[in-house]
Amino acid sequence: MNWQIHLPALALAIPLLGAFASPVAGLGGRSIRNAWMVFISIATTAICLLLLNRVLAEGVMVYVMGAENWNLTLPSGLSWPIRIILQVDAFSAFMAVVGSVAALAGAFFSLQFMDKFTGLEKFSALYFLLVTGMLGMQLTGDLFNFFVFLEIASVASFGLIAFWRDRPEAVEASFKYMVISTLSAMFVLIAVGFLYGRYNAVNIAAVARMMHMGYAEKIALVFLVVSLTMKCGTVPMHMWTPDAYAEAPAGVTCLLVGVSQASLYGLFRVCFSLYGVSLGSTVVPWTIIVMGVLSMFIGVTMAVIQKEVKRLMAYHSVSQIGYILMALGVGLLAIRDPQAMAEYGFTAMKGGIFHILNYTMYKGLLFLTAGALFYSSGSRNLNEMGGLARVMPHTTFMFVIAAAAIAGIPPFNGFVSKLLIYQSTFAVYPLLAVVALVTSVLTLASFVKVFQTAFLGPARKKFEHATEAPGSMLIGMSILTIVIVAITLFPTWTLSHLVEPAAKALVDQAGYISAVMGGGL
Amino acid sequence: MTGNAPFLVVGIIFFLGLYAILFERNLIKIAIGISLLEASANLLLIVLGYRSGGSIPVFTLAGEVKTMVLPTPQALTLTAIVIGLATSALLLSLIMLLYRHYGTLDVREIRRLRG
Amino acid sequence: MWSKVYSGFGYWDVYVWLVFFGISSILVLWLRSLGRADYKEGTEQDEIFYGSNEVPEDGDDMGVPASSAYWGFVKALKPYYDSLVEIHSGIVSDYVGFFIFTAAVLAVLVLL
Repeated sequence: MNWQIHLPALALAIPLLGAFASPVAGLGGRSIRNAWMVFISIATTAICLLLLNRVLAEGVMVYVMGAENWNLTLPSGLSWPIRIILQVDAFSAFMAVVGSVAALAGAFFSLQFMDKFTGLEKFSALYFLLVTGMLGMQLTGDLFNFFVFLEIASVASFGLIAFWRDRPEAVEASFKYMVISTLSAMFVLIAVGFLYGRYNAVNIAAVARMMHMGYAEKIALVFLVVSLTMKCGTVPMHMWTPDAYAEAPAGVTCLLVGVSQASLYGLFRVCFSLYGVSLGSTVVPWTIIVMGVLSMFIGVTMAVIQKEVKRLMAYHSVSQIGYILMALGVGLLAIRDPQAMAEYGFTAMKGGIFHILNYTMYKGLLFLTAGALFYSSGSRNLNEMGGLARVMPHTTFMFVIAAAAIAGIPPFNGFVSKLLIYQSTFAVYPLLAVVALVTSVLTLASFVKVFQTAFLGPARKKFEHATEAPGSMLIGMSILTIVIVAITLFPTWTLSHLVEPAAKALVDQAGYISAVMGGGL
Repeated sequence: MTGNAPFLVVGIIFFLGLYAILFERNLIKIAIGISLLEASANLLLIVLGYRSGGSIPVFTLAGEVKTMVLPTPQALTLTAIVIGLATSALLLSLIMLLYRHYGTLDVREIRRLRG
Repeated sequence: MWSKVYSGFGYWDVYVWLVFFGISSILVLWLRSLGRADYKEGTEQDEIFYGSNEVPEDGDDMGVPASSAYWGFVKALKPYYDSLVEIHSGIVSDYVGFFIFTAAVLAVLVLL
């Protein structure tokens, strides 16, 4: 028996162990707690990479919790699955790797960034709980467990956003996020209830096999789409994003970017695998596209006028999520039409999924550099910064790489995914590509503003004693920089080994269903 | 007819909760609205699993019965209640901190983060 | 060959760009080396030109603050920005209102 069949369960068990053993590790003092945090993050990332490797080699993995056998999805001849099932296809594993790399960088960064604060064992416990929630959302094959992990991730992120609870703004941001996020979680639960009432099953594959559009399914679809687009910060439900991202500690913001990708994963799992071809009309794809276009434009125009560096970057997350939504919406539009799929749909999906990878890496890096700026200058207000490139050369270097990548300047990775998105959306409706291009220009403009006001300019007296960010923060940032440079230099390898299998897995609804339901399709 | 009455109650509680979150100004009342939403979702799950005349879905305790209510929604509801407890506790403690920082519970005055 | 990314409409090759950047940076360095090196150090030629004014001691007095960046752009789009900032009111009831509104609109669209 190969131990690798237990990888899906290990990917959840290790961060969970990390979370609950953190207070114990905290008893041993600061260095033991830090070592524990590093060890668990590296182990989680390694497990996710092994998981991806195995899924790419052997196809969809299922893991049944509590059964006599790990792959006994339909016990004793039943026609529907009754146990808790983890189902990992290439898309899930891809998202898990993306999220765990962001978590690794955030953990390294947090070691010294949070060093002067107390209550750090609680911080690392919440941090790994958030990682568990994120990975759980991405690996589960079950709608109700998706809700449970969504809530685990949400509650952990409320705690982390309000971690500096002596700051009124942090508590306010956490409260706002909490109200709207709990509301949306209840919508998810009600949608799960509707689907359960219709099909007596909560397993995604089982429901998808029996899916037959009626009023209950349509209402469930609306509830799921609206709440999950809210959770990843889409216009017009994006207002919590700048609050939460700006007020959370920087390492946590890097992880929150990964967690918003988990909601995005849920959205596309619902649209492609749960509903898929039975989606029927083009209303939902077009809604996703329109929301994407609005997010891109409104997000970036709001970013141009921001004064706080993390708030500015948070508005950019809104606009980057717009790209992904638009690309995958175009893919969803083409799902019933094999010819359209071959012509532009699959390219759009490759672009969108590639953009998920790129976005998480460079946006995480940008938030980390903003944290480094805050650490050195003691301010987040761009009006008070200036000339910091003189004291922080490494941070400046990494900021330039990340800013060039997010603005889509060739040859960086952001350009490749944006190119795929531009060309495929142009085939659907030229205006989409035009908005995307304008957004890209404005993105560049606002990062030029950040670069010019924070890093360039004459040396300021008040930053005479400012220093470069310390070691572990630089390690956290370098991890993401190395990933960005690697993707930039090897776009073909990334596309054919990571992105294309993920896109294929997302389109292949029948494969997703038959992995759990056997040959019953 | 009476079989659908619980769903009506679910709807009423749901919209009461929504109304409280949307139109109440006091933070505590908003928290109550969220609890109402949670209650309506839990009630929906329980009602979905109910079979008229059914007994508890535990083999060793049910005795000689023909129908049992569905066990899955009850397990789901238990989980959802636990999650709801955690969210309510955290929400109320955040409200407490907000009151300490801002000196008010009016939702329209807690808006330092905007624009 | 293996470095090309085909988009279905054309292709993207990162190494061509890297070669291009290499050539252009050689050109830039060459142009820079043509600059005059024979200025007189320690004279007026060596000083910062700050609009014929004294150069301030502290950089704080000469930097352009971030809120002044893109002043004309923001000024031209003032009506748009005014309405947009008004939407981002920071009141949590409004956030929830937008959420419910989107859900209602989407429900109407999907159910009809």
